[in-house]
Amino acid sequence: MPGTDLLFHPETWRIMLPGVITAVLMAVMCSVLSVLVVLKRMSFIGQGISHAAFGGMGIAAILGLTALGAGALLQFGVVVGFCLAAALIISWISAKGSTSADTAIGIVLVASMCLGSILLHISIQGKTSAGPGWESILFGSIMSVNWVEVTLASLVAVVVLGLAWWFRRPLIFWAFDETAAPAFGVNCTLMRNLLLVLLCLAIVTAMKVSGVVLATALLVLPAASALALTERLWPVVVVALCIGLTGVLAGIAVCIVFNWPPGPSIVMVLCAFFALSRAAVLLRSARTPAARSEPA
Amino acid sequence: MPPPAHDQSSDPAVQYRGVTYRYPSGGMGDAAPRPAVEDITFNVRAGECLGILGPNGGGKSTLVKLTLGLLEGAAGDIRVFGRSPAHARKEGFVGYVPQRLGAELAFPVSVRQVVEMAAMRGLAAWKAMPRDRSDLVDHAIELVGMSELADRPIGKLSGGQLQRVMIARALAASPRLLLLDEPTVGIDVAGQQRFTELLRRVQRELGLTVMIVSHDIRAIAGSCDRVACLSRTLHFHDAPQGLTPAVLAEVFRHDVSGIFGDVHVDAHAAATCTDPSHVHGPLTLPSGPVGMTVSAAMRTGPAQPGGSDARD
Repeated sequence: MPGTDLLFHPETWRIMLPGVITAVLMAVMCSVLSVLVVLKRMSFIGQGISHAAFGGMGIAAILGLTALGAGALLQFGVVVGFCLAAALIISWISAKGSTSADTAIGIVLVASMCLGSILLHISIQGKTSAGPGWESILFGSIMSVNWVEVTLASLVAVVVLGLAWWFRRPLIFWAFDETAAPAFGVNCTLMRNLLLVLLCLAIVTAMKVSGVVLATALLVLPAASALALTERLWPVVVVALCIGLTGVLAGIAVCIVFNWPPGPSIVMVLCAFFALSRAAVLLRSARTPAARSEPA
Repeated sequence: MPPPAHDQSSDPAVQYRGVTYRYPSGGMGDAAPRPAVEDITFNVRAGECLGILGPNGGGKSTLVKLTLGLLEGAAGDIRVFGRSPAHARKEGFVGYVPQRLGAELAFPVSVRQVVEMAAMRGLAAWKAMPRDRSDLVDHAIELVGMSELADRPIGKLSGGQLQRVMIARALAASPRLLLLDEPTVGIDVAGQQRFTELLRRVQRELGLTVMIVSHDIRAIAGSCDRVACLSRTLHFHDAPQGLTPAVLAEVFRHDVSGIFGDVHVDAHAAATCTDPSHVHGPLTLPSGPVGMTVSAAMRTGPAQPGGSDARD
């Protein structure tokens, strides 16, 4: 298989190294956050935020910002800002009580996609050199990641993981019992908004590799698989991290060998891991039927 | 866990003076809402257990939130250990056992981890849990009789066990006041009996002041020194002995119409309940097959002696 030779060719890794490093950083950030996203049932809001990134990319494109040099920083800022605005709008609409959160997300999601499509269309029409291709925004492009973006992704990873660690106790209390947490001194509004900010940062970083459409897969699949395998909090985080990292690296290998797009390759591998974890649960419960009927 | 410093002074633990609270317009889906609670005045003496009984929609949850300092803008004055409720909450004076477990039961945490959440309050992010707090957690779990199940995942507990964990979590915050919101919801009769015993024991051992807010008379009758009846306004405030069905019928007659649906009352339970001669000492209600609530007592009040209204 010619692709297999490509996988071990030094030149492949020289070209792909920035993309691979970004993918690893993305895997670490998203896997850790996925535990909170899944347990707090926020995967749909993640979907809303990641699609808002498409609108953000449209705005960046119309402003003429590209991922080259200092433009990468500005582009990142614009997209994160747009995602944050979308997240806060979703929070605000659903907090008012008259519209449910999923309706708010549904509306913001399509509005962002429309805005992004129109702005990208206008920017491509008005330019001689095409901006980022639609396909790479939607499904990711591991080859086009440059070293400036790697540096940015590293800084973002430090901030995201640092904040998640610093606020781990109130975040866990809030995620476990939002009703009672305020009585124990947990600021639930702060925790919700903090998680939204962390999600925005992680999603915009993940978007480079896995694309807008598939970024949320990394915020759901690692924890969903890990929760099927263990019932302890910190082991869930560690297993999710292992699954996320393995999935991303295996996905990149699949992408190189078969010359498939990176985002879908990574997500396919993660889906396979999820299916395996569910199969393991079924197998375990079939072997120990007594465990299911054990009195509480 | 050393008992918290007991308030020996005559100052009440909780003091409400003419408190009225109205939710902001639109906040409760009502264009011009009437107050959720109106002109509430009562005291909870340090070390006593006060039960607040009332129908659903009678303002109990509002009272809980006001006592916790989670609602602001109430008219009148509320003091919790001489401080504003928000201040008292920030100082960790109030241990809260929530109404229905709003917790995510699929959460991969053990009993001990849940109790630890409360004990880690104010702990710097870089610090591990100190030994004294760890001991506090152990003692809280032991007090509620959950030591053997301390490592069990929270999702694998019964309703009664879960409630005990929630009490342990409140105790792990070293409170002076324990505030319980509808503590017997979803718990069977035997479980409620155990709950009453547990609460009495914990209160005695730690010298706590306790406030129980419930619509279920059984949650309150066996546990409390005094009872207040809340249905937007506070109607009654006395020892449980005085809480006869006649009183209940009188104070809730107007307010509960339309709030409760049809209540099927066990004939024997109703008859026992409506006969004042059966009410000796702290009010105890028959643990019959029907959940005997305020509504049941009200419907079988003195107007229908012998529970002529009773069905089933």
